[in-house]
Amino acid sequence: MNKEILNLLKKGLLFAAFAIPAYLVLLLITANWAPDPLKRNINFRMGSYGHMHSRLKEVRESGQVELLFLGSSHTYRGFDTRLFEAEGWRVFNLGSSSQSHLQTQVLLQRYLQSLRPKLVIYEVYPGTFATDGVESSTDILSNDVVDRYAWTMVLKTPGLKVFNTLVPALWSDWTGQKSTYIEEAVKGPDTYVPRGYVEMELQHYKTVRDTSSREWTWRSKQLRAFAQNLEMLKDAGAEVLLVMAPIPPGHYRNYKNTAVFDSLMQNHGRYYNFNDLMLLNDSLHFYDAHHLNQLGVEAFNRELIKLLKDYWLAL
Amino acid sequence: MLFNSLDFALFLPIVFVLYWFVTARNLKLQNLLIVVASYVFYGWWDWRFLSLILFSTLVDYLVGLGLSKQENLLKRRVLLWTSIGVNLGFLGFFKYYNFFLDNFIEAFSFFGRDISPNSLNIILPVGISFYTFQTLSYSIDVYKRKLEPTRDFIAFAAFVSFFPQLVAGPIERASNLLPQFYARRTFEYSKAVDGLRQILWGLFKKVVIADNAAEFANMFFNTPADYPGSVLFLGAVFFAFQIYGDFSGYSDIAIGTARLFGFSLMQNFAFPYFSRDMAEFWRRWHISLSTWFRDYLYIPLGGSRGSLAMKVRNTFIIFVVSGFWHGANWTFIVWGALNALYFLPLLLARKNRTHLGPVAENRILPSLREIWQMASTFALTVLAWVFFRAEDMAHAMAYLKGIFSTSLFTVPKGAHFLGSAMHPFVLFFLLGFFILIEWFGRKEQYAIGATLSSQPRFLRWLFYALLIFMLGVFAQTNETPFIYFQF
Repeated sequence: MNKEILNLLKKGLLFAAFAIPAYLVLLLITANWAPDPLKRNINFRMGSYGHMHSRLKEVRESGQVELLFLGSSHTYRGFDTRLFEAEGWRVFNLGSSSQSHLQTQVLLQRYLQSLRPKLVIYEVYPGTFATDGVESSTDILSNDVVDRYAWTMVLKTPGLKVFNTLVPALWSDWTGQKSTYIEEAVKGPDTYVPRGYVEMELQHYKTVRDTSSREWTWRSKQLRAFAQNLEMLKDAGAEVLLVMAPIPPGHYRNYKNTAVFDSLMQNHGRYYNFNDLMLLNDSLHFYDAHHLNQLGVEAFNRELIKLLKDYWLAL
Repeated sequence: MLFNSLDFALFLPIVFVLYWFVTARNLKLQNLLIVVASYVFYGWWDWRFLSLILFSTLVDYLVGLGLSKQENLLKRRVLLWTSIGVNLGFLGFFKYYNFFLDNFIEAFSFFGRDISPNSLNIILPVGISFYTFQTLSYSIDVYKRKLEPTRDFIAFAAFVSFFPQLVAGPIERASNLLPQFYARRTFEYSKAVDGLRQILWGLFKKVVIADNAAEFANMFFNTPADYPGSVLFLGAVFFAFQIYGDFSGYSDIAIGTARLFGFSLMQNFAFPYFSRDMAEFWRRWHISLSTWFRDYLYIPLGGSRGSLAMKVRNTFIIFVVSGFWHGANWTFIVWGALNALYFLPLLLARKNRTHLGPVAENRILPSLREIWQMASTFALTVLAWVFFRAEDMAHAMAYLKGIFSTSLFTVPKGAHFLGSAMHPFVLFFLLGFFILIEWFGRKEQYAIGATLSSQPRFLRWLFYALLIFMLGVFAQTNETPFIYFQF
């Protein structure tokens, strides 16, 4: 082999031995001490929005539940655990920000055994099938232990942001930062409610008149993970109800392929799209283009409880 | 295949290993590998258009052979015009057909006649403007007997399709690049390291500077009515950095990659934003295209010789054609014409060759006069970039109207920058860092060239590690194509 090429390979390896630790050190310094604007591709945030840290801490000690909620922020901001507990049901809301089906899978792998739910309300917002899952991956890496399931999730959602978050997440695991961290229950307008719900101060959505037509494009890896999750729940003996929580009607109507989505979900099991089942008002029942405010949550949850009582009383 | 993609990160080492370890003993095989690799590189985007490159290669190869056997002037001309016709025909059809058709329709409707021919849904093949010009240079040089025609088809095909510079240049002259395919390449450690360093700097320019500047520039250009003049001016400045970082970054990666394979490509950018007048700017910006037009259009037209009217005409022709080369839109034509207007006074006053060396050549800092000269040249460039970036003339005029309003003197607010994933101060910090490095490396082929290589190894490696870290932390997470791909 050419000596010059060998020399390049040798120096290349030496440089890698220098640059990789340098990168990791700079990454840890930036992740832990730099101001937020300098962390464009580092999303390591213990106890960031969504109270995931508190939720995960609680789920580890939860024990068996009758009703488990899964899904994105539409879930942890859309299913008020207090209203379901008032019906005498033991519940847990395991939703998280932008939780896509790849992350639901990790959470089920970790906690399904201990939760052993009888019924799972799987919130199926079409956007969760369209996302790359990066935001939610970084949320879970930042707030939960990095185990073999997390590594699998990282491989399925590769990218700079996930890698740059994985490193400080591992570091905080090793140094015990995650386990000793205490998250405040009230952060800005958000209040963490035990069993996973986050209540937002009552606000009203200022509707933006936007009639542009849109379409969701679903990713096959999310559809695959979704099917696997349903299989996993079935194997654990849990009944599953697929639910699409309401979003502002003005926003919902802009999507062209909602009927296709409904049909897709119906193929996977019992499915209820509350955008068709309820008549809600953009500004009265929502606080932004995605989320119900507390008035909306109560109205939606009442409808759901009615439905559960009618159809699922035999829990 | 994009240089800033995972695909390329895998493709490059594979080709490198095959090139130096499997085919190194056989020149023909090595050239064939380059052709195959280049076709894979191009076909990754759309394999159907490989037929265009192949056809163009065949035509120019045969024209070259024909010219070598032909002494009859008329027949030689026919051969030359065959090459020009085929290459410009492809370019005209794929790039300009709809433009001419639309303008034709508008001209008729202006005279009260409505016609409705169907415009075609034509996809512009990536890099067509670059490789057609490269092959044309071969035919013209062979016709002018400046270059011996090649009989080695594989070498010629490798010259036309050489993947590092296939889709966005530098547009190489046959006289420089083609002979490199005839000679056996030897691997040189220092050249390869230099190439890797230039690739790293090119990636930094593209991924950290251009893509982040683009985020703000796009925001302001998309809805200019929402922003005051001061913010719109900033948007145009950001675009200036976007296009420079994007295009010169591509060139750096191309030159660096070619160096890894033992090839030497021409410098395409020589720190144009440190120019003291527009003539200097045009000697430093997209050098391979400017010199192409100079040699194959400007000089044949008479150049700067002849009467005043001839000088003015030739200057306008070269700038307007250069503008039109960039795209089938009136905005590019106006961009070219505006640059001609900038350049003409210098030419007529014979001051177009005042600044030939680098600014502040033997000093660390520029003089106040040089600062003023660079700032005013940059400002003129920024204004011209507005036409280059705008979707159409109405958009450009609305944007300029927004800049030249009383709101030009208002202080931008934080709210103007909402909607971007990056804080504007971070972008200013990155631009400051970038300008500083470029300033200290302005006498080199690229900013972190020889100056850095003379530093102790620890400092050099620390700097490279810092650049890699900045790539990792500030890169856009989605792959963004290079602007010049659309040309």
